[in-house]
Amino acid sequence: MIASVAFRNFKALRDTQLALAPFNLVVGPNGSGKTSLIQALLHLRAISRLPVRASRRRAKPGGTEMVFHFSPPYERIEARLSCVSDYVCDLLQLNVPASDPAWKKLRPGLARIRSFLFDHYAMAVPARRAAGAELSTNAANLAAVLARWREKHPAAFAALQAEFLRIEPDFSALEFQPAGRGEVGLAAVLDDGGEIVTAENLSQGALYLLALLALAFDPQPPAIVCIEELDRGLHPRMLREARDALYRLSHPEAFGMSRPPVQVIATTHSPYLLDLFKDHPEEVVIAQKRGRAAYFERLADRADLRDLLAEGPLGDLWFSGILGGVPEEK
Amino acid sequence: MNIAILSESPADEAALRVLVEGALGEPIRQVQHALRARGWPSVAQVLPAVIRHLHFNTDTEGLVVVVDSDNSVLHAPEHDAPGYFHPDCRLCRLRAIFRQTVKKLPPARGRARVLRGVGLCVPAIEAWYLCGRDERVTEAIWAAGLVSGVLPYTRGELKWRVYGTDRPSLPLEIQCALAEVRRQRGDLRRLENDFPNSFGPLARDLAEWKNRV
Repeated sequence: MIASVAFRNFKALRDTQLALAPFNLVVGPNGSGKTSLIQALLHLRAISRLPVRASRRRAKPGGTEMVFHFSPPYERIEARLSCVSDYVCDLLQLNVPASDPAWKKLRPGLARIRSFLFDHYAMAVPARRAAGAELSTNAANLAAVLARWREKHPAAFAALQAEFLRIEPDFSALEFQPAGRGEVGLAAVLDDGGEIVTAENLSQGALYLLALLALAFDPQPPAIVCIEELDRGLHPRMLREARDALYRLSHPEAFGMSRPPVQVIATTHSPYLLDLFKDHPEEVVIAQKRGRAAYFERLADRADLRDLLAEGPLGDLWFSGILGGVPEEK
Repeated sequence: MNIAILSESPADEAALRVLVEGALGEPIRQVQHALRARGWPSVAQVLPAVIRHLHFNTDTEGLVVVVDSDNSVLHAPEHDAPGYFHPDCRLCRLRAIFRQTVKKLPPARGRARVLRGVGLCVPAIEAWYLCGRDERVTEAIWAAGLVSGVLPYTRGELKWRVYGTDRPSLPLEIQCALAEVRRQRGDLRRLENDFPNSFGPLARDLAEWKNRV
């Protein structure tokens, strides 16, 4: 949906741009702009909700500027976000009138950009049933979302549960327990003996997996999903399942679905996860940091990539430093 | 037989088990499930430790290891000459690792050593799956492509031909892999014929196992 973003003076992203694919895995050291990329998209979401008004305000010279381009059928639209002062960064300028039908059609999609950084402590706590409309940023309402699915979207719930049980064969079902004050708690039933394991006693990995599946099997998924630390809490051998869950969003046709693809931007520090992209280097973005400036490079743009890939796993190549995207050492 | 399989994924392991049983003509007992490596050269790095573990801590009789050739040098009959070793041939390197590792190990658990079963998927295991179904996919055609510099297909294209997508889910990958190898397991001569220096060495290793055991 978003074809590219160009940054100027946005945090460490002083002067760089990035073409975005349907699926994007961003790797790089701390402070290299991975989270800033996601924040930029959230900023676009927030500002695009506001009415675009003819304004005499001018962008602050040398200030933050982000220029977004979009995929067909919105490729002629350019959205420029700027700061008007050190503290106010809400100037949205379009190259088309705000009344343009394409912009009107694009805007609701931008409002459906979502960002996630899962928190297993928050997930383990019962959630208000009424809060289950969509997964929250830290997935604290996971129990409410899944309980709602079971009631309103039984097919989606059944598919999610089947996938969870396939990946976690120790369990035979998901359960929901009333927790008072209109709250619901999540639990899983052990296959061996039927013991019920409440969310607070489920492993971090099981909770993170459930949250990922709640994204992947969402009957009404967001337009763009940003997820930080995709590998968080997952065993290296489980990372393939995590990747495939997100591929379900970004490449629905590969899973026999005809719904529009969801653009995915995920970050990781896991070489094991990176290994899984050997056949799709075009999906890997290396966030580089040089001094106080950061910039992005597409792995597939490297001319010697094929030769490098013949030498070893992608994760090892990254760790070695030859691909960049590693911390600077003084 | 008590057999271990070192592979890159559950799908590869499931398919290799069927092929090994087909070659041996009997069901196997898989000693330790889910031995995994992260592709080349991680397989070569982890293999000595895997052999030692299986030798001393399990009753494994044979270990099957199969790696993708990707775009590397293919194994050739001249590599099989006594004392010869091609440093860029992954099959030769795996064999050398086996040889060097087992010769240092004393007998244990009633056998002298863990038997070797090594194969090379050219360029990836999906090529084996397509054997007998797609005549455009053979070791000879790939080898000619390496020589000419114009490869006849990519790994991604092979995935498309097998799975209908280059991003198969694990269940789909296992389902398709098993369907393809089950089609072939009754008679593996076509696979040996189309992949003489990649599946062929594995088939010959397994035939030797039958004679020894």
